[in-house]
Amino acid sequence: MARIGVFICHCGENIAGTVDVFKVAEAAGKFPGVVHSVEYKYMCSDPGQTMIKDAIKEKKLTGVVVAACSPRMHEPTFRRACAEAGLNPFLCEMANIREHCSWVHEKGEATTQKAIELIRIMVEKVKRNKPLYSIKVPVTKTALVLGGGIAGIQAALDIANAGHQVILVERSPSIGGHMLQLSETFPTLDCSQCILTPRMVEVAQHPKITLYTYSELESLDGFIGNFKARIRRKARGVDEKLCTGCGVCIQKCPQKKIPSEFDAGMGKRTAIYVPCPQSVPNQPVIDREHCTYYIKGKCKICEKFCERKAIRLDQQDEIIEVNVGAVVAATGFDILHSKDFPEYGYGKYPDVIDGLQFERLASASGPTLGAIKRPSDGKEPETVVFIACAGSRDDAKGIPYCSKICCMYTAKHAMLYKHKVHNGKAYVFYMDIRAGGKNYEEFVRRAIEEDGAVYLRGRVSRIYEEDGKLIVKGVDTLLGAQPVEIKADMVVLATAIVANQDAESLAQKLRVSYDPYHFLSEAHPKLRPVETNTAGIFLAGACQAPKDIPEAVAQASGAAAKVAGLFSSSELSREPVIAVVNRLPPPVFSTCTGCFLCEKACPYQAIEREEIKDRKGNVIKVVAKVNPGLCQGCGTCVALCRVKAIDLQGFTNEQVYCELMAL
Amino acid sequence: MEELRKKARELLTSGAVKVIIGYGPGSGKRVRAVFVRKPEQADLLICDDRCLQNLAVYLTKPEVKALGKAAVVARLPTLRAILQLAAENQLTDGQVVALGISPEGKMTELSQFKAIEEFLAGFSFELSAEEKATLEKLDQMTPEQRWQFWQEQFAKCVRCYGCRASCPLCYCEKCLAECNQPQWIPAASHQIGNLDWHIIRAMHLANRCVNCGDCSRACPVGIPLHLLNQKLAEEVFKQFGARSGMKAAQEYALCNWKLEDRENFIK
Repeated sequence: MARIGVFICHCGENIAGTVDVFKVAEAAGKFPGVVHSVEYKYMCSDPGQTMIKDAIKEKKLTGVVVAACSPRMHEPTFRRACAEAGLNPFLCEMANIREHCSWVHEKGEATTQKAIELIRIMVEKVKRNKPLYSIKVPVTKTALVLGGGIAGIQAALDIANAGHQVILVERSPSIGGHMLQLSETFPTLDCSQCILTPRMVEVAQHPKITLYTYSELESLDGFIGNFKARIRRKARGVDEKLCTGCGVCIQKCPQKKIPSEFDAGMGKRTAIYVPCPQSVPNQPVIDREHCTYYIKGKCKICEKFCERKAIRLDQQDEIIEVNVGAVVAATGFDILHSKDFPEYGYGKYPDVIDGLQFERLASASGPTLGAIKRPSDGKEPETVVFIACAGSRDDAKGIPYCSKICCMYTAKHAMLYKHKVHNGKAYVFYMDIRAGGKNYEEFVRRAIEEDGAVYLRGRVSRIYEEDGKLIVKGVDTLLGAQPVEIKADMVVLATAIVANQDAESLAQKLRVSYDPYHFLSEAHPKLRPVETNTAGIFLAGACQAPKDIPEAVAQASGAAAKVAGLFSSSELSREPVIAVVNRLPPPVFSTCTGCFLCEKACPYQAIEREEIKDRKGNVIKVVAKVNPGLCQGCGTCVALCRVKAIDLQGFTNEQVYCELMAL
Repeated sequence: MEELRKKARELLTSGAVKVIIGYGPGSGKRVRAVFVRKPEQADLLICDDRCLQNLAVYLTKPEVKALGKAAVVARLPTLRAILQLAAENQLTDGQVVALGISPEGKMTELSQFKAIEEFLAGFSFELSAEEKATLEKLDQMTPEQRWQFWQEQFAKCVRCYGCRASCPLCYCEKCLAECNQPQWIPAASHQIGNLDWHIIRAMHLANRCVNCGDCSRACPVGIPLHLLNQKLAEEVFKQFGARSGMKAAQEYALCNWKLEDRENFIK
């Protein structure tokens, strides 16, 4: 006979304000099977929990219903309290009379009645609850880090330094990401490559990090602790074991006019190339789209000159499979491109460039060796206009959000320009200056006050060419919306930060959610900023939202700490809310007919086939069996099973049916 | 018919199969299913217009399986039922020899699923003009009229489960109708129980029914159950392009998601 205890929480005024909790407690006490029904101001408080524990012992309760908030909030609290009193935690259920009742209805008789009904159905469910036990699943203590930018590098190093294996996958030929392209970094103006390259080398040398560059994630299966990733290693055309990175092939390559991705199109590269001299690994790849051999079928000059015989022109893509326990997505960002700015002539006038291109011009390792020369004729520009918020905070461009880093890097650009071209004039058009961050505001003030950048608050409507000058037409809203016209030699657009083009397909591969702009979504904007809604997959860096370097690094370390926490034990404990295929005495063995439609329907590949054999080993029947490690308890198979041979533990057909019938 | 008897004798004599499931003389002018196990009994076999029952229904019965490898006289729906049963892992290739009977009455021995697939590919799965007209008529009713129509039909049901017994795809050992914890379908023959039973059965046959019509033929009170199944089959075909019983390995529209699936039926 069931002995159910009902505990009704006032939640301060949250519930008691609209629901007559005393009446509810009285009514619940009369339900068949209920032997104890009380209300209390805060059930989740220590005294509240003690009431539950004491009642379990004194009244010998066989089930507990806590009528309070959403189970998302306090179910673990109450289940733990029950466990401490010796009751199986899965015999405790919550009736949500806050979110489902008091918060959404007016005070009144009907609201109280609804609370009573919600408890009634939960009492009927608990009567049919069975003790369940957590499922233990093993953890593969290897992390997969996707993206070799600063966030990925930091995450990989932190996880590896915590003593775990890391597989770092980078799409381009070298790790380093966008940070490697930058000249100097705000607010300290230290050389980006000087601070980044030691980290890159550390990654390359770390015994616990396996680095796969020029590789991409093909697919990811499995679940937290037990993922299976397939990685496509794109054909490099070069044997990495033999190549010493001497660079002869690069010198001899006849294709020399290919716009360099690393230099954001400001410089040129060869068909066999490394992105930059500090590349890690320092082994070239062959760009098959531009290589003469792949276009015309002959050339092979690189092969001829390679002393180590490391060129592999017939190499094919290779797919490798790895088992990992956690994944950190650190796939970074992209910037808005030229087609989106016809009014600024971006893409039409060579001297209208974006922020990344300016970084390459200002970088000592760039195509101009750090001299500010404009792309059209190589002359030093005397007047440069910087336009912040090019696309950002602009609904017309479909980007309502702030790209966050542009205010700072535009100040930096103006400053770098003034440091290199002392007589030059730097104008900055801005909407607002957002310089929240340690030493950030001081940095912007420095650009204005010490380096004399002219800041104009207003937007630019149009840029056109006239007599070899770029005419920038804007407005200065601080001078009564006065029109401003500047004859510039070069214009730098701080184009908006956007998600990578394939961010959506990556999110789908990882089964994580993403926002309308294709940035990957965190599990909770405040309290779970590095986790995703898919357990075991974490986020680092600008794939989640626009971020500067310190933030990306901090988030990467946060993600690494989460991974290290996950790897701290060899087993994971999971809720036993999983599907189970029934087993019965012979001659039926199971009502499962073995049609295996559940196998096809299961999104987690959790259905296996089990042969039921007699004593001689003859197969009597083949029936479905659920792999408890893979099952996520979604219930798709339960809905599909015509014989109802599958049931969901903790939410059995019988339980749900009785809940409904109780109404 | 002679051709069929000859083949039956041959198969039994050679031991290729242990039993031939076919049609034989029944009471009066009717035919019934016969299980021919000796070559000399092969003359019992009949194959004419009266032979409509879907004999695939016997293939999944443990008693029939116990007899050994079977050959089955199979009209088109029976062949489709065999493939559908194969798709649902109830039959394995080579377990059954189908003696396929074309609409013209010509017999072909089909011992592999592949052969059945190829044989079936030569015939269309289109509903006949008459069947289409009946469905059309139902479609043109207002929802109230249609509800009324089916309420009247279901009111006749005595819950004999003849539809289930005759259906080759109702092979579950323990039918949902017999499940009482929870009691999904009220067992008594009353309005709600009858509606529950027929709607659930129709849903369970969506993208599975091979349109043999045996449910309606078996029904002692004459409920046109096949119309429900035909309607669902047409809907599944319209929405997902899927037909049941055409391949031995095929997707089941109800548990399969494709990006290109249209979702215009979600309102």
